[in-house]
Amino acid sequence: MDGNGRWAAQRSLPRTAGHQAAEAAVIDVIEAAHTAGVQWLSLYAFSTENWRRPAAEVDVLLRLVRRAIRKHALTLHTRGIRCRFLGVTDPRIPLPLARDIADLMALTRDNRRMTLTVAFDHGGRRDIVEAARSLIRDGVPPEQVTEESFARYLPHPDMPEVDLVIRTSGEQRISNFMLWQVAYAEWIFPRVLWPDFRAEHFWECLDDYRRRDRRFGGVQVPTATGKGLC
Amino acid sequence: MSDAAPAGTDDGSTPADPADPLGPGSMLYQLAHQTRWGLVATRAIVLEAAHPQIGAALITNSTFVAHPWRRLRNTVFSTQRMVDPDERVRQREAARLNRLHTRITGTDAEGRPFNAADPEARAWVVATMFESTVVMCRLSGESLDGPALDRLYSEFRALLAMMDPDGGQLPPTLREFWRYYEFMIEERLENTEAVHIILDRLFAQVPAPPLLRDRPAVWAAGRALAGPVATAITVASLPEPLRARLGLPELPGTRTLIHTAYLSTRLATQLLPEAWTRLDTVMTMLDPTYAPPSGGDALAGLRRGAAKAGALLRLLTPVPRTAATDDSTLRSASRFFSEVLDQTGNGYLDWPDLAAMAREIATRLDLDTQDEDRLFTAFADWWRELQTELDTDGDGRITGHEYAAATAAMTSSALIRVAEVLFDVTDTDGNEIIDAREYRVLFRTAFDHDPGDSGDADDGDEQLTRAEFVRRFLTFMAGRRHSDAYDRLFAQS
Repeated sequence: MDGNGRWAAQRSLPRTAGHQAAEAAVIDVIEAAHTAGVQWLSLYAFSTENWRRPAAEVDVLLRLVRRAIRKHALTLHTRGIRCRFLGVTDPRIPLPLARDIADLMALTRDNRRMTLTVAFDHGGRRDIVEAARSLIRDGVPPEQVTEESFARYLPHPDMPEVDLVIRTSGEQRISNFMLWQVAYAEWIFPRVLWPDFRAEHFWECLDDYRRRDRRFGGVQVPTATGKGLC
Repeated sequence: MSDAAPAGTDDGSTPADPADPLGPGSMLYQLAHQTRWGLVATRAIVLEAAHPQIGAALITNSTFVAHPWRRLRNTVFSTQRMVDPDERVRQREAARLNRLHTRITGTDAEGRPFNAADPEARAWVVATMFESTVVMCRLSGESLDGPALDRLYSEFRALLAMMDPDGGQLPPTLREFWRYYEFMIEERLENTEAVHIILDRLFAQVPAPPLLRDRPAVWAAGRALAGPVATAITVASLPEPLRARLGLPELPGTRTLIHTAYLSTRLATQLLPEAWTRLDTVMTMLDPTYAPPSGGDALAGLRRGAAKAGALLRLLTPVPRTAATDDSTLRSASRFFSEVLDQTGNGYLDWPDLAAMAREIATRLDLDTQDEDRLFTAFADWWRELQTELDTDGDGRITGHEYAAATAAMTSSALIRVAEVLFDVTDTDGNEIIDAREYRVLFRTAFDHDPGDSGDADDGDEQLTRAEFVRRFLTFMAGRRHSDAYDRLFAQS
């Protein structure tokens, strides 16, 4: 979800206005993915590195996230969307926001039409380090550590491999996002800024993805599942 | 459909054992698992509070005004343990209650000594529960024939005998019991402060249960309606001589109200599915973290449903203006004083407050005598340290002002000792690590993200070292930061 700051700057607005405008894009994309039958959708809302931003901007972001959760919780639930969060461990996250996040997860935990994972205070490297520490604590012998067994120690181990990553605003970096899960993902970099990203942009990305020839390092062409989008 | 009659019927799953007056086949066992038992308990506590010794103990030591839901949960746990199918569980609980009551002593406002372990007072507690059960049956139109009444009475006598094998007893026959009961009403009960606190403050100001803790406005609206009704029903059900002595008139229409209330609970118990009217069910609805001592698996689905309903309610209820600006994990010394330290809610910090903390920990961890003694000793040492350093006017108690003025400069070596003992008694396997299971027993919650903690490399590890445990405890007790885990333990109602 890149480009909020640039979107605001282009309009001579404060950066926080870009974050406010981003909410409409979030809802539009969730609705579009839901309609398209996507079963797993992840949104990268806030990275562990984003804490370095000015305190006032972080504060506004946190308030916006809380407001969005409370505003859309019932809609998400009635749509059958299971909401999960990836990260959310920093002590700077205000208690009321942490409670609302916990409430949203509790409310939607039994939904299965689509799983929406919000990466918030997320870092892909941290997830891998945490998984390694858990493995060591459990005393797993080195010869028993495989890619499959390691993946079971990552947060939300039931999450499938990511098929497609859409990074808006033309930026072409991974930025520490779900490093393990995106190993074989297809990437699309639309130039549109996130606050302007709408359902039609999302569908264009899906069309682009469906035309791609996914080989997973081999030569055969498997059937694209279209299940895990970010 | 469920069989609600307490008159000697079994629950269908466990055959009655005539030699076991408190097991699953007993009337008491059935009653202790029904929600309508709440009517009995509410009425009984008013009768207990009118007893001078019990009233004084309640006023000075009990947390029932400041933390009524916690107290209710502990009472439900304790009652159900006392009728547990396993005799050893009952004996252990009886011993725990004895230790707990032995520690509650003092003098009332008129200088008369009181002792919660006094045999006569304990007999009166059981007598009020028996008599309130009979009243419940009578007011709800349920007939208890002679043999059923005799059996119920013998079960209550067995309960008292288990709690107090060497102490006071209830009269051997039912006929003598009623004479004893009338004597107590006429001669022994008084117009105590505790009665009026229960009737005037508890019902009118009872804080929100955990389910609605974050939505005080919703709770206050419901309480404004239910509080006066609960008071009217309870008052109208009291014996007339006592009501006159307490200066509580019977309001017009309360006879109808009381019959309606009792009859409704009976019909609900008889007509609704048994799982709906179980006490565990209602406790789970009020407190999603409630984990009944038995039958937990059967309630897992219900608890999940209650948690979802609570989550939806909290998310849909507008955020109060004060909460909207309360995005900090910090809190003032005065709020910490009133929310955490002043357990009895009397506006002061004194030994009963710290004893209540120790009691809550000991109850949750189900400590044995030795560990319980260690814990109480550590808390007593802490109290002496607080008294020495903070009680500037020497009146034997600490005001919020005295606490706020001096607490930042305290060395608190005794508090570190409390933390260490708490670690020792929580670390039941003695491996110097608090693992997820041990953590859950103490805090009744899983390891979780806790924005109130400062966080470090151990966060998310699902275990706590001694140093980290002590650090977290001291951070919380320094009174500057919220902690979900410790707030659940000490601060929540």
